[in-house]
Amino acid sequence: MSEKKVIVVAVAGNPNVGKSTLFTILTGEIAHVANWPGTTVERKEGFREYRGKKIRFVDLPGTYSISATSPEEIVAREYIVSGEPDVVLVLVDSTAPERTLNLAIQVLELTPRVVVALTKADSAHSLGIHIHVNKLEEKLGVPVVLVSALEGTGLRELLDAVVDVAEGKKGRKKPLKVNYSWLEPHIAEVESLLSKYNALPEYDRRWAAVKLLEGDLRLEEILEQRGFEKLIEEIRRLRTAITRSTGKDIGEHVITSRFNLVDSIAREVVVRVKTSAVSEESLLEKLLIHPVYGPPLGLLVLLLAFTAAFALNTGFPLNILLDFMGFSEAAEVVEEYSLSGLIDTVFNYLSDILRQIMVRAKLPDWLVSLVVDGIVPGVGSVLSFFPLIVVIYIALSIIEDSGIGPRIAVSVNRFFNYFGLSGKAIYPLIIGLGCNVPAVMASRASIEEEERRQIIFSAPIIPCQARLLVILAFTTAYFTSPLHQAFAIVSIYIIAIFLTLLTSLLMRALRFKKKEPPELILEIPPIHKPSLKVVWWLTWDYSKHFLRKAGTIIVALSVATWWLLSYSPSGLASSVEESFGAIIGKTLAPLLALYGIYGENAWKTAFALLQGFVAKEALVETIAVMYGGTLSTREALLALGLTPLQAYSLLVFMTLYVPCLATLAAIFFESRSLRTTIFATIYMVALATVVSLTVYYTGLLLQTLVS
Amino acid sequence: MISLESLPPGTRARILGVAGGYGLSRRLMEMGFTPGTIVEVVNSGPGPLLVRVRGVVIALGRGVARKIIVQPIG
Repeated sequence: MSEKKVIVVAVAGNPNVGKSTLFTILTGEIAHVANWPGTTVERKEGFREYRGKKIRFVDLPGTYSISATSPEEIVAREYIVSGEPDVVLVLVDSTAPERTLNLAIQVLELTPRVVVALTKADSAHSLGIHIHVNKLEEKLGVPVVLVSALEGTGLRELLDAVVDVAEGKKGRKKPLKVNYSWLEPHIAEVESLLSKYNALPEYDRRWAAVKLLEGDLRLEEILEQRGFEKLIEEIRRLRTAITRSTGKDIGEHVITSRFNLVDSIAREVVVRVKTSAVSEESLLEKLLIHPVYGPPLGLLVLLLAFTAAFALNTGFPLNILLDFMGFSEAAEVVEEYSLSGLIDTVFNYLSDILRQIMVRAKLPDWLVSLVVDGIVPGVGSVLSFFPLIVVIYIALSIIEDSGIGPRIAVSVNRFFNYFGLSGKAIYPLIIGLGCNVPAVMASRASIEEEERRQIIFSAPIIPCQARLLVILAFTTAYFTSPLHQAFAIVSIYIIAIFLTLLTSLLMRALRFKKKEPPELILEIPPIHKPSLKVVWWLTWDYSKHFLRKAGTIIVALSVATWWLLSYSPSGLASSVEESFGAIIGKTLAPLLALYGIYGENAWKTAFALLQGFVAKEALVETIAVMYGGTLSTREALLALGLTPLQAYSLLVFMTLYVPCLATLAAIFFESRSLRTTIFATIYMVALATVVSLTVYYTGLLLQTLVS
Repeated sequence: MISLESLPPGTRARILGVAGGYGLSRRLMEMGFTPGTIVEVVNSGPGPLLVRVRGVVIALGRGVARKIIVQPIG
């Protein structure tokens, strides 16, 4: 091998094995995030220079096996046989070797170029678990290295082993053979069939033979694509014959045989010494999964974490609370010095300066306007989202890394089952209260495809912080008593959250025709103090993802909106009222007659709602601008001349119809389907119309009954 | 023959088999729920069951737990 060649290392491991931690330690940072081709499974890459060689690490999805039961497992094994990786690094949890060795054995059956990393060496030690590394090396025939990512031990040895295996200096020459006892003659039979047809040359023949006997759907699919229908027929016939003559399930036999090997290895290499740390569950652990105290405690932890995150970001609910207690000046200070407040100030300032410079440089009007009114605010709105997202992810990463997260999911599972979801859905829904974009992205945590799509579809109905700002502006303008204000705000949240859950349930029952809620199978790692390093990595990783994906789209759409608002059919518009946007607003205005809103106020409202389609926080601002910008926000809103009932109905509409274009972009990226995205949009607009009109006419009816 | 779901907390049992569909039983077995393996019920309330298998605690929805056939021991 030449000195220049890059060594490619695929990193495989079970979930919760410490893979992302080790991956980040090895590579310093994640250099590249993308999806695996044709899937929504995330692919991360990072680089490392070692002994003068460049090593490229490719993170495989965390899986328990490389059978073909999920897209993740297919991605993992097809990458291993693609010929691209020189080495597969398999992570085995030293605190649970009897379970996690299973994946290592499976990978070893597929390829001999393996290095095994025993992770969490530090915790294993304190639990009194000792593993004879040399003996395990002997058993597996490949290098085994004990590492502790957090203490940084074993990393050099690991990299040495990787380079050695890549260069062929260490390791096996052939894949590992597991003894499948009575199945062996049949394996030989399929092997000779495979060699006769010369099918599946990229796979180890024995491995492919075993998988085909198990009934691996993905391999059959590949054979079918390559035109080996006759071979498939022969294998199926053989499979039925075996099942009939033995009365046994081949898959069960294969998995059991493999675990028998795991057990026999573990018996020889693992020693458990009783220590005091072995391990009474802590009070917190017991309480979190308690049937009565668990759910409220879990919700409390989540709400506290996210309230703190929101307060840091927008000042809410601290500002309202201060205002309510009569400290309105303090409330303003909190708002102004919140993260998004600060970013807003900076970008307004930047806009002004840029405008002055560009006007002085005598640049054409349209260019000045494009930069100052289009691009800068666009970038600004991405960046004002950014702290919210970072802060939400910090909270989420702490909950996740500490092991509290899965316990909360368990405790609320029963409640979510009523709505066709599992307890894991709590995360996207809670995140959605902050911002719908990461909420849609968090749908990835679901193992069931149907549940994933239910979340992608229903999470955008949850009122996010931007919508909260609109709700607050309208309720304070149109309702004078604090009691009425509070009632309006809370009732809108209740309506929206109920509709979110209802949407999910309807989708499961009607679209997917499933009566049962998704099955919950969730590993519960021990609770431990979260590591700041890991929390920061997770946060940065997620946030960067948002900046790249949503960021580009938001900026592009801001420019498009700028164009709609600045141009009229006859070129650059002299005022907003002549723009394309206003024309669309006027076309839609008659619809507002349904809410009893007519004339000038109707098109202005329609236009503002149109703006809210792009981003909800733009809605209030637009109304202020249309009334000349001299009135305060409150006065501008009152200038619309709505009745409280009309204002409330419009708020209901505003909350339910499409959150913002960035969320639509997220729906598109997660579903990978334009049809789903369009259908979701239509659904939300229809839902908003029906519900808000119901509210309006019920209100009217009640008013006439009372008076 | 009884299901894992019906066991009270603290019970240990030997797995006899998994009676789910192809995907589900496969996933459970690859997580370590293979016939012959010992499981321990850590916690069981009205919600999901917490069981320890091969040194790892796993939460199973009751529907899933019902599909794991066991024989109590000890």
